[in-house]
Amino acid sequence: MNLIGVSLNHKSANIDIREALHLSKNEILELIPILKRDLFSEGLVLSTCNRTEIFGFPKDVGISYKDIQKTLIEYKPVPGLNSGNFINYFSCSAVKHIFNVACGIDSLIIGDSQILGQVKESIQLSDDLNFSGNVSKRLFDQVLRVGKRAIKETLIGEGAVTVSYAAVQIIEKIFANLNRRSALVIGAGETGELAAIHLRDKEIGKLSITNRSFDKAKIVAEKLRADIVGFEDYKERLHEFDIVVSATSSPAFLLTKDDIKSVMKKRRRAPIVLMDIALPRDIDPQTGNIDNVFYNDIDSLNVIVEENLQKRKEEIPLVNDIIMEEMVAFFSWFNSLRVVPTIKSFRSFFEEITQDELRKIRHKVTDEDFQKLENMTRRLIGRLMHNPTKKLKEIAENGIETQEVSNTTAMLIDLFDLNNPSKDEYTEEREN
Amino acid sequence: MLSTIHLLNILLPILYLVAFVAYTYDFIGEASNFTNSKRIFLFVTLFLHTVYLLFRTIEFTHAPITNKFEIFTLLAFAVSFSYFILELMTDVRGTGLFIIVVSFAFQTVSSIFIQDLVEVKDVLRNGLLGIHVVSAIMGYSGFTISAVYGILFIVLYKNIRNSKFGIVFKRLPSLEILETLSFKSLLIGYVLLTIAILIGVVWLPTAFPDFKWSDPKLISSGVVWLIYTAGITIKLKDGWYGKRVIFFSLTGFTVAISSMILSNFLAESFHSFY
Repeated sequence: MNLIGVSLNHKSANIDIREALHLSKNEILELIPILKRDLFSEGLVLSTCNRTEIFGFPKDVGISYKDIQKTLIEYKPVPGLNSGNFINYFSCSAVKHIFNVACGIDSLIIGDSQILGQVKESIQLSDDLNFSGNVSKRLFDQVLRVGKRAIKETLIGEGAVTVSYAAVQIIEKIFANLNRRSALVIGAGETGELAAIHLRDKEIGKLSITNRSFDKAKIVAEKLRADIVGFEDYKERLHEFDIVVSATSSPAFLLTKDDIKSVMKKRRRAPIVLMDIALPRDIDPQTGNIDNVFYNDIDSLNVIVEENLQKRKEEIPLVNDIIMEEMVAFFSWFNSLRVVPTIKSFRSFFEEITQDELRKIRHKVTDEDFQKLENMTRRLIGRLMHNPTKKLKEIAENGIETQEVSNTTAMLIDLFDLNNPSKDEYTEEREN
Repeated sequence: MLSTIHLLNILLPILYLVAFVAYTYDFIGEASNFTNSKRIFLFVTLFLHTVYLLFRTIEFTHAPITNKFEIFTLLAFAVSFSYFILELMTDVRGTGLFIIVVSFAFQTVSSIFIQDLVEVKDVLRNGLLGIHVVSAIMGYSGFTISAVYGILFIVLYKNIRNSKFGIVFKRLPSLEILETLSFKSLLIGYVLLTIAILIGVVWLPTAFPDFKWSDPKLISSGVVWLIYTAGITIKLKDGWYGKRVIFFSLTGFTVAISSMILSNFLAESFHSFY
């Protein structure tokens, strides 16, 4: 198989290069026609903020991974990007790498839940731009299948592996139905927004955002259908919320123990969850000593994250088993593509000889004897062909080793001269 | 029928033990296949326990309420039966082991010491007494379940507050659910105990010539009832949450159990029949 590809990811390039090289959807739409014109007959371009991958089946024998790197660098020049930032793949390793990516075991966060969706989008783009053919379509199907199986059959995607999601997991252990609860997110930065997204995903009853800069709060609030609470008066309204997530860059505590004490008084001691996911911390950890106040900071949330990451790592061997099964299935199919025509020409080669010999004695024997001879030669050919055909199919189905299939079919073609079936040297020699 | 009773007497503790093990295995294992089968197994156990109680009633011509070991088997049944209904209603399936173990303990003690009693006092064959005792037993099983969920609430509460995210954190339902389950089973227990007390107060003085208002069992039931009344009133009126409500549940339960032990085993009373 001549599938080749290059990958730039967290193992080969720093975050600045990865982010700078990230291709938007429009850029991919521009790049694919260039790849089609210069390099590949069919292929795939995947780009996220953490990885950029280009794979394809070369149009000509001379095309190598260097050409892919050159095309990409020319299309999107990034300062500091060079050949050493790419990992190159060929044939079997290329298929395995794409499978690894789809399962999330090649991701920076093992078992990343978003990557399969991103792979799916890339495949869709290839389809839309006619950048996929018979082999790549089959490969893409298998890629999606591997990704789905990994999620369904293993625990590779289980448990919270980000601090903000771990916070939501704890909140779910305190309150049964989040749709009856209200939450305030203090800070509309990346972390705060992520926490707000998780709360929205969990169908929080009422979501409010407050931020020092009102405009920033407005952008996030509109995106998540949340209310905005003014930064100057959120403290007075704190008792209205069951959940407070704080993620600002404030150098000092925003909420002190006394603040929370008075909040608890107003709440008549109803439980409140304080998730401090800021560094340095926004909420005085002493608040955790007040009854019915559930306080967690980054350190305690990281305990959950680390534990879950470790568990996901332990699932990798199971994912690898799935990948291996699917690779065998894919290469069996792929190898059979080349074996089937060989078997066909092998059979027609014998058929032709049989017909020729039978024709020669057609008028020398009775009809009844001819019938017997015809049956006998059919059985003879069947038996002679049985073992080589069976063996050939076995080689195709049992392994991902394409070389063995190539060698065996080549030997068969060579021995019987199957590329020139009409030429029958034996008959020619006899006739001469 | 007698041999079936004897067989079930041996079998029931084993069945409760197996149910407990199945629920424990499901609690510990992250991807257990026991989620449905353990429930079916508990149902079968409860069905056989019902058969056992019925057979005893028929064979010995009185309800199994005449001595403490009969009461124990009834209590074992009531606790697991109430839990089973609660599990069906709420679909909270992870906490069964903490309840079934109570049934296992009561049933084991009962199975070891229970005897085939045919001769009992006539008063113990009275229908009203049957309702009085059964509602009291069901009431106490409600308090038991409430106490178990109360303890689980406190354990999970402490785990979360101390950032311990082990198996308790992973497998128990949320604090809100535990609190609700504890309070609901307390409410059911309270209603049933109230019925038992009402029947007792109306009927006991007429049925027992040596009836005394100062009877220890009567006083202790009254104290238990008052504790629960206070807890329920405060919870409903002031919206108390968590530990404070659980405190009432656990105090009520402790008083109930200790008074039951004291009045049954130590004090002399018209209320004792054995």
